[in-house]
Amino acid sequence: MFLINCPFCGEREQSEFKAGGEAHIVRPKQPTELSDDQWAEYLFMRKNIKGIQFERWNHIHGCRKWFNMVRDTSNDEIKAVYKMGEKPPVK
Amino acid sequence: MLNYSNVIENDKSYPGLQMREIKPVMKLIIRGKKRQFLSAVGKSLNLLLPNEANTSSRSDQLTALWLSPDEWMIFSNEILKSDNNNYDVEKLLNKNICKTNLGAVTDVTDQFVLINLKGDKIFDLFETGSPFNFNDFKSKKGLVTQTILTKIDIIVHNQDINDVNLFVRRSFSDHLFSWMNDSASRL
Repeated sequence: MFLINCPFCGEREQSEFKAGGEAHIVRPKQPTELSDDQWAEYLFMRKNIKGIQFERWNHIHGCRKWFNMVRDTSNDEIKAVYKMGEKPPVK
Repeated sequence: MLNYSNVIENDKSYPGLQMREIKPVMKLIIRGKKRQFLSAVGKSLNLLLPNEANTSSRSDQLTALWLSPDEWMIFSNEILKSDNNNYDVEKLLNKNICKTNLGAVTDVTDQFVLINLKGDKIFDLFETGSPFNFNDFKSKKGLVTQTILTKIDIIVHNQDINDVNLFVRRSFSDHLFSWMNDSASRL
C-alpha cells in the first residue's frame, strides 16, 4: 500500500491504479524484418530489476490516463511521476 | 429516457444521512482536446468547462464535472419531464462538436444512476469503504472526484456542504445502494 501522485488528479491510494509494466520500450520500426527471437525480445522480455525502475501506470479508477513513474522496486519509494511523452526527470 | 424502472425503490433515511435516487436527469460525457472544443462547448451551453482538476462548473440548467484532462460529464440540474431519449443539449453539442470534428458526445443518461446524499454523515459513510482522503474534499463546495467505494467505481460531486451527488454505473447501483444501507445502519 502506498500513495501515488497522479499527474492529473493528485495524490491517490495505490488501489486506484494499475501497473502497466516497463516504460520506454520502443516498438521496432520494421517488425517484418525482425527474427522471431528479436520480436520475442521486444514483446516479452522485461528487465524486472531490483532497484530503480521506469514503469507505466494507469489511473484506472480515476482519470483513466496513462503516465510514467520512476520507482525503487526494493522499497516502493516513488522517485518521480511524469506524463507520457515527457523525458524522465531522474536518471 | 428509456423506460427503465428505478434501481432504488425507496428513499432511505438514517440519523444524519438521507439517500435517494434522482431520476430522470440527462447525463452526457463529452471528450475533446482542442482549444476550439472548449470554446465551442462554452458558446453552445453558455457554460465554461472546468479546466482545473477535480472541480466543476454550474449554470442555471447544467453542471459540468471534470473527469480527466479531456473528458467531462454534463448533467441537468433539474429533473426532466421528457419521456424520450432526445435532448436539445445533446443535439446542439452533436451539431457544434461532433459534426465539426472537435470532440465526442456520448449520452450516458441510462448508464449512470444518480444517488443524492444529504446529511452530516455522508463522508463517514464513504470513509468506511473508500481509499480516498475526503478531509479537504468535504469542506469545499463544487469539488469532484472519481474513486472507488467498496471496490465499485464512483463519481462523487460535492454539490453543497452536506449535499453530495454520487454517480455509479447502473449494473453496480443496486449492490452499492444495499451496501450503503448496510454500512449506514452501523454508523
